Amino acid sequence: MDIVKGYEEEFNQLVDIYEKNTKDDSLRNPAVATIIISGNKVVGLNSVKGMKINSKVRNDGLVMVDVEIEDNTVIPIPVHLCTGFLEKTGEQILKFNYNIGANVRVKFKSHCILTKVEKLHHYMESDMYIGKNSHVVYEDEHFHDERGGVFVETITKMKVDENAYFASKFYETKTRVGRINVVMDIELMKNAKVNLESKIYGKEDDIIDIKEVMRLNGENSSGVATSTVFATDATKAHVINEAYGNAPYARGHIECNEIVKGSDVSVSTIPVLKVNNEKAELTHEASVGRIKQDQLETLMSKGLTEDEAAEFIVNGLLS
Amino acid sequence: MLVLENINYSKNSNNIIKGISMKFEEGKVYGIVGNNGVGKSTIGYIIMGLGDYKVNEGRILLNNEDITELSITDRAKKGIALLWQEPARFEGITVKNYLSLNRKIPLKELEEALNLVNLEPDKYLNRLVDKKLSGGERKKVELASCILLKPKYLIMDEPDSGIDIMSLDMIVGVMDYLKKQGTTLIVITHRKEIARQCEYSYLICAGKVFLEGDSDKIIEYYEKTCDTCGHINYAEED
Repeated sequence: MDIVKGYEEEFNQLVDIYEKNTKDDSLRNPAVATIIISGNKVVGLNSVKGMKINSKVRNDGLVMVDVEIEDNTVIPIPVHLCTGFLEKTGEQILKFNYNIGANVRVKFKSHCILTKVEKLHHYMESDMYIGKNSHVVYEDEHFHDERGGVFVETITKMKVDENAYFASKFYETKTRVGRINVVMDIELMKNAKVNLESKIYGKEDDIIDIKEVMRLNGENSSGVATSTVFATDATKAHVINEAYGNAPYARGHIECNEIVKGSDVSVSTIPVLKVNNEKAELTHEASVGRIKQDQLETLMSKGLTEDEAAEFIVNGLLS
Repeated sequence: MLVLENINYSKNSNNIIKGISMKFEEGKVYGIVGNNGVGKSTIGYIIMGLGDYKVNEGRILLNNEDITELSITDRAKKGIALLWQEPARFEGITVKNYLSLNRKIPLKELEEALNLVNLEPDKYLNRLVDKKLSGGERKKVELASCILLKPKYLIMDEPDSGIDIMSLDMIVGVMDYLKKQGTTLIVITHRKEIARQCEYSYLICAGKVFLEGDSDKIIEYYEKTCDTCGHINYAEED
């Protein structure tokens, strides 16, 4: 692990918070590729064979990270991307460029550690290219301050080339959201497959916006996008799922489940399906409402109270 | 003893259950028999106290205590359980967690319950109780869950529905096992093979108890008359 000189304390603080929240000690493991960013500084970098990581901080504070993975590289241990902010207020702006070659297998685990901030705007823009026949998994987990002063924006644009597979999991279920705006726009080429999953638990006056777009441009490409939002108290949640069937035999399915608990909750979902090729097929499922009565009553008939049953169901949905 | 006393239940101005009275003694196996649509499942839901099944008239007594106004949870805590005809699905919840339900149950007990319903523990404990389970698998998991509740009274709503014909022996075996454990079984069915396991049965027609008595006699009548009747308002006209 290459800890940048002068930033040892920040590195250790972030890693300690991560380890406390996840019981995972990968960030100190020299065999694990890692990028650790604190505020507008890269405080730790570790690369592995077949992978190049370059970072640059512009004068205006923008942190730019380029990740390149060579063709035919298999990275057996997940690559960790850890971004944190240890000041009380501020702004963190990050720009990631991923260029993933052909025949690559890699899994990224991204953690956003924003547990100590009172007011923060965290903006992360990513461009990702996934080469032919590659298999990429990206898991993104957030830990925010419980006072709700965090505003996270993640904007991702991707191209998944022929026969490649991409899966993403975006989870913000363990701590308070604050405000979050997730945008993911993916272009799929011939035989490419994607599976997008996002799960968010809103409390108090959290604001949640999700927009996922799948552009099925290649023949026989396919994608599934599933969003689950549990909105409580006075949470506002708005989910847009879009799928465009632009090629023969392209198949897309979008699903949005928003579960509400609380009289001041405001939630909405808009599915957009557009077929531009007669052989393409798109489907969607959406539900907005309370926890299903038959689920509650099933658990209550086994002795759980209504609140215990609701918690049990929601824990499952957000697991 | 569990007693239904002159129960009336209506929904949207339709009288579904009309003055039904029943008794269920501890440790016995009872059948509630009748064609589809006569109100058999409704009786089960009324006993369990489901939200849409509050009675308009009558009382439910458990060991002389009036439980008519008790919640589902309170009835469950008093030992009443329901094997659902079509059990709900739960995303993200494993069979192991579903069977445990926040209780500390030794793994061995969970495995025994799954073995009783012919599900291999190694294959099923970590499966999710979601749409990926077949109807039959889901029903068997529900049956295992009921076994682990160790209820005093178990309402079994069409225990064989959704389960392949080869599993009928398993259901009969589980009924036997539960009876030996001291559970009173209230079996809602229109399948004769299941009804034959009952000691005493109620034949329901159009929301009324049309006949009651020894199960063999009730089945005989049901086979001769109800099977071909298709006339769910018979009792009302009678």
